[in-house]
Amino acid sequence: MKTHSLSIIACLLVLAACGKDDAPQSHAEEHAAEPARTGDGHIELSTEQIAAAGIEIVHAGAANIRETLPLYGVITPNAERMREVIARYPGVIRDVTKQVGDTVRQGERLATVESDESLETYSVVAPIAGVVTARNANPGEQTADKVLFTVADLSSVWVELSLFPRDLAKVRVGQQVRVANADAGIAAAGKITYVAPVGTAASQTLAARVLLENAERRWAPGLYVTAEVVLSEVRVNVAVRNAAIQTLDGRTVVFVRTDDGFQARPIRVGRMDSEQSEVVEGLSADDAYVAGNSFILKAELGKGEAEHGHD
Amino acid sequence: MTDGLLQFSIARRWLVMFLTLAAAAAGIWSYQRLPIDAVPDITNVQVQINTQAPGYSPLEVEQRITYVVETAIAGVPHLEYTRSLSRYGLSQVTVVFDDGTDIYFARNLVNERLQQAKGQLPANLEPTMGPIATGLGEIFLYTVHADDGARQPSGEPYDATALRTLQDWVIRPQLRQVPGVTEVNTIGGYERQFHVTPDPARLLAFGLTFDNIVQALERNNTSIGAGYIERNGEQYLIRSPGQVSDISAIERIIVAHRQGVPITIRDIADVGFGKQLRTGAATRDGKETVLGTAVMLIGENSRTVAKAVAAKLGEINATLPQGVRAEAVYDRTVLVEKTIGTVQTNLLEGAVLVVVVLLLMLGNVRAALLTAAVIPLSMLLLVTSMAQTRVSANLMSLGALDFGLIVDGAVIIVENCILRLSQAQHREGRLLALEERLRTVFAATREVFTPSLVSVLVVILVNLPILALTGVEGKMFRPMALTVIMALLAALVLSLTFVPAAVALGLTGKIEERENAIIRGARRAYLPVLDAALRFRTAFIVGAAVLVVACGWLAARLGSEFVPSLDEGDIAVQALRIPGTSLSQSLEMQLQIERSLADVPEVQTAFSRVGTAEVATDPMPPNIADGFIMFKDRAEWPDPHKSKELLLAQMRERLESLPGNAFEISQPIQLRFNELISGVRSDLGIKVNGDDLNRLLQTGNAIAGVLNGVPGAEGVKVEQIAGLPVLSVEANRAALYRYGLNVADVQDVLAAATGGEEAGQLFDGDQRFALVVRLPEHLRSDLRSLERLPVPLPQGGYVPLVEVATLNIAPGPNQISRENGKRRLVVSANVRGRDLGGFVADARKQIAAQVKLPPGYWLDYGGTFEQLESATQRLTVLVPVTLVLIFALLMMTFGSARDAALVFSGVPLALTGGVVFLWLRGIPLSITAGVGFITLSGVAVLTGVMMVAAIRDRLAGGAAIDDAIREGAMLRLRPILMVALVAALGFLPMALNTGTGAEVQRPLATVVIGGIISSTLLTLVVLPGLYRIAFRRPVSFVAAEVPR
Repeated sequence: MKTHSLSIIACLLVLAACGKDDAPQSHAEEHAAEPARTGDGHIELSTEQIAAAGIEIVHAGAANIRETLPLYGVITPNAERMREVIARYPGVIRDVTKQVGDTVRQGERLATVESDESLETYSVVAPIAGVVTARNANPGEQTADKVLFTVADLSSVWVELSLFPRDLAKVRVGQQVRVANADAGIAAAGKITYVAPVGTAASQTLAARVLLENAERRWAPGLYVTAEVVLSEVRVNVAVRNAAIQTLDGRTVVFVRTDDGFQARPIRVGRMDSEQSEVVEGLSADDAYVAGNSFILKAELGKGEAEHGHD
Repeated sequence: MTDGLLQFSIARRWLVMFLTLAAAAAGIWSYQRLPIDAVPDITNVQVQINTQAPGYSPLEVEQRITYVVETAIAGVPHLEYTRSLSRYGLSQVTVVFDDGTDIYFARNLVNERLQQAKGQLPANLEPTMGPIATGLGEIFLYTVHADDGARQPSGEPYDATALRTLQDWVIRPQLRQVPGVTEVNTIGGYERQFHVTPDPARLLAFGLTFDNIVQALERNNTSIGAGYIERNGEQYLIRSPGQVSDISAIERIIVAHRQGVPITIRDIADVGFGKQLRTGAATRDGKETVLGTAVMLIGENSRTVAKAVAAKLGEINATLPQGVRAEAVYDRTVLVEKTIGTVQTNLLEGAVLVVVVLLLMLGNVRAALLTAAVIPLSMLLLVTSMAQTRVSANLMSLGALDFGLIVDGAVIIVENCILRLSQAQHREGRLLALEERLRTVFAATREVFTPSLVSVLVVILVNLPILALTGVEGKMFRPMALTVIMALLAALVLSLTFVPAAVALGLTGKIEERENAIIRGARRAYLPVLDAALRFRTAFIVGAAVLVVACGWLAARLGSEFVPSLDEGDIAVQALRIPGTSLSQSLEMQLQIERSLADVPEVQTAFSRVGTAEVATDPMPPNIADGFIMFKDRAEWPDPHKSKELLLAQMRERLESLPGNAFEISQPIQLRFNELISGVRSDLGIKVNGDDLNRLLQTGNAIAGVLNGVPGAEGVKVEQIAGLPVLSVEANRAALYRYGLNVADVQDVLAAATGGEEAGQLFDGDQRFALVVRLPEHLRSDLRSLERLPVPLPQGGYVPLVEVATLNIAPGPNQISRENGKRRLVVSANVRGRDLGGFVADARKQIAAQVKLPPGYWLDYGGTFEQLESATQRLTVLVPVTLVLIFALLMMTFGSARDAALVFSGVPLALTGGVVFLWLRGIPLSITAGVGFITLSGVAVLTGVMMVAAIRDRLAGGAAIDDAIREGAMLRLRPILMVALVAALGFLPMALNTGTGAEVQRPLATVVIGGIISSTLLTLVVLPGLYRIAFRRPVSFVAAEVPR
């Protein structure tokens, strides 16, 4: 009899213990399902898988890397090509022939002034060819010492750029600059002609100047522009697209195509611009690397870490 | 008492019939109110508090929101625990209450505390409570879809934004009106926003800032009411409409004047429709889509609500623009109807089989029909009591029902009544007078009533340990045990009232006890067997004992699972990617998955949620996607007989070939339950509580190191808390000083530039769209442009961001989990080849010795071992108590320990057949199989009591022991066979069914059928021999009557 009740207890206890193995089992399955990955950053993928995952493979090669520095600036007239015209002998302005905006030749008459001393009239002429940008003279007025006209030669203009302390070391006279105004849809290239030796305390900046050809008069002084200073332009032997570069465990890597898949290859990046990066170490020219959708490979390597953060 | 009740039932038989009818009517009425679902609801009582904090990083969310909310909630009555997570832009605090707490009461408490907390939260942040729903709440999912040719009124094709707008402003508001729907959640597409994207260069040119634009927009986009004036007895209301309504109106808003020239928005910024910074997306069959989820209110009937939603969606579809449709992709009705259908078929077929058996064995149509009437009647009574006790009808609760068992009591009574009535008629040689008939029915019922009472009580007793289960197991199996108990009680009441009354009313004519061929054959076959059993009784008994031991050994090797999981038909594939994966990358990878599944012929449609939906019921980061794969009907499969396992294996293979994803395959409801319960799901979870994330991680790693050294440890894991790449822009205070800037100036520029700043709303009827000022996309996403972002200086001019702040990218906390108001990190481990208790004790000791906790840090030990420990403790007390109670019950019945023990012996013998059948069909032990064993012990006791009682009657009548045994056994052969046959056949359809949900019921049915075969054989063969051995000297009984 006793054996019977014992066996009942045994049976019920077996039932009671049913739950015991449940959780471990499901976890064991999880483990079994995890794909085998090797720890050295190698991933096996078939050609079909690569196509399905949208992985783009290209060859590393030589490229021009343009390092640039974007700056904001404003167009100002070329101060060297600007003249302020004052009446040589003070007197009364009898006649004014040019208005603001008029183009004048060198020596062309701007106004006629009657000298106070000689009471003779004489012509005030444009010292250079250019455009009248300011006129402060009307018939009947006294010239006194005031500037009657400003004539500017706008065939070239300056772009005044503000250099911040961080950029100072990079910018030198002679560097190429691309100047653009997106609103007006214009762009042009110029060179840095001057970097101010003295800074402004209030804005903590130094002025840099770009000389811009303006034969067509598109660059109106006062306009705000964006400028990109080309800091360096070098031809490098090995470059990869920026989209190829991933960080893996704190190292910078690109994924290189191998016979059966990909290998994460640590690299050292040199110069870079907005599209490409120079590879100083770790990759040779003609190596096939993943340029597009490289994140998928990083994800594949790290997928063991992926877990639902609910608990 | 029973005598009185019996007499009353027979005397007032018409009244009893009427009352029975009334009870039946109540049952039908209750059926309309009975909550029906596919599976039991295992969600705990919880309230989610979600606070959306756009732009906040996990650390800020935790510090500014989560902590405040948690502190406010702490100490709420009936609180079990709180847990929280802080993630990008979202704080979620889950407040779990004690089981049984009223959810509305709980929400009220939470709401009250939230009101207090609001003052301490950052401005504009509003904590909201999640929908009043459980894990079964997501009953209806649909996608909004446009045909390729469909065009918006503007002539453009419908894009994700346009579809989302339809969902937000046409579909969702209507679906929310459907009774029983508590929330309609949306994921996917983009909320329509108006974006003002200023060009930094132009801002500089005009000396303007983001703030100027925001202010200009805010000040030029309001309508006001200005009271009323009276004029000539009339009243004029005054309003001043000033809202802008379209892009050109926004463009004309003036921001500033420069030398008399007005500068408008148009001069400094582009204005257009933009996309929100979303936290989630949805896909379907390889395309982006908008996915809506109707969430059912707690305690509603999922079938009714899902149907109502479907109907409403049909109406809405008719009103949607040409070519746009909302299509149901998941409808709980399908599953519920399939499972309930399976249960119904099983019950119906079982009932038919039972009726056939009754007809064959009783040989009396009226008797058979009135016995069979007990089936629907007890069902209806059961429905009433389930509706009253709020036990939901589902696969589990209804699955354990066996009509055979239900009618057993009635069968015995009716059988005995027929026997006695016909004997009386024989004796008298005439039809009985009413008085005589009633007396005979009373006597016959009383004679056999005890066995059925005892068997019911035994089943109830055996169910007690199941009722004592707590937690998830309790929620799963308690309804099952309750249903069985209620059904049996209903049947018991019926067999005390309705059955005798009906017999008294119905069996009026000449009752011929027809021994049909089956019974005669059985008797002929049984006689020699009985003789042999008595002669070689020792051999039989030893054989039986060996069988029991052998089956015990077999049972230990069957393998076990907790509960066979319900096959929901469809599957859920959760795709996990590394933390930090962006939403668009994750979306692209999810689309790849769906495209790769497109040509699987069994797949009807596949859709997914990536990241978090609008209402963050499931706060998934963007690197995780919940994919749902809906299968076609089996009939449409190329091979309708393909097993689900094979299909799953093929799908898994396909999925695994896609690089970059890890998968967890489950099922829609299962997935939701896991998300909601979300405790530690491994054997042992050690929670490290403390303040500093790095120290938590160090301590966690140290603990993991120790655990790895404990024998039996497997799969030791430290929770991932870091890994989210964070770009931190740290203001350089020295530089700020030089430029005369504040930290906030820099932060504001950054926030406006990348996150965007909301500057009011645009209205279009009910629809309202945010007006957002943000940097143009090409500048926002480029790190180099961000570095050059101009920060305006107070004295005019600008300074690039990089001059005044340091930008660095470093992995930061992915999410911060807290429990009971403290940060925590979980180290989990599983145990192999070792008992759990010993492992945990060992681990505790070694950790205490080897890991030094920083001051203020502490450990909590949890995991399934906890539940197992408490369940084992409970069961080690309850199982023996139950056994003692059963024995005591039998003792009371027979007034003899020996007889009680004899009947008791039938139980383990009965179990043997169940074990053997499980083994034959390759089904592991599970709780459902356990319920089968419980049912079985009831049947075994029933037959045993009948047999022993009959033998005792003979002995009391003065018969010799051998004769008494032989006569008693022969007399009870028919009822025992009938009871066994109805019980076994009643479960036969359940054992053979392959429909949805059958896999949960199969183990139970298998156990019962196998067990009943062994139990019957053993009762008929071993019990007589055992009785003979136990019987030493003739005992004289005072009365044949069994004491109660």
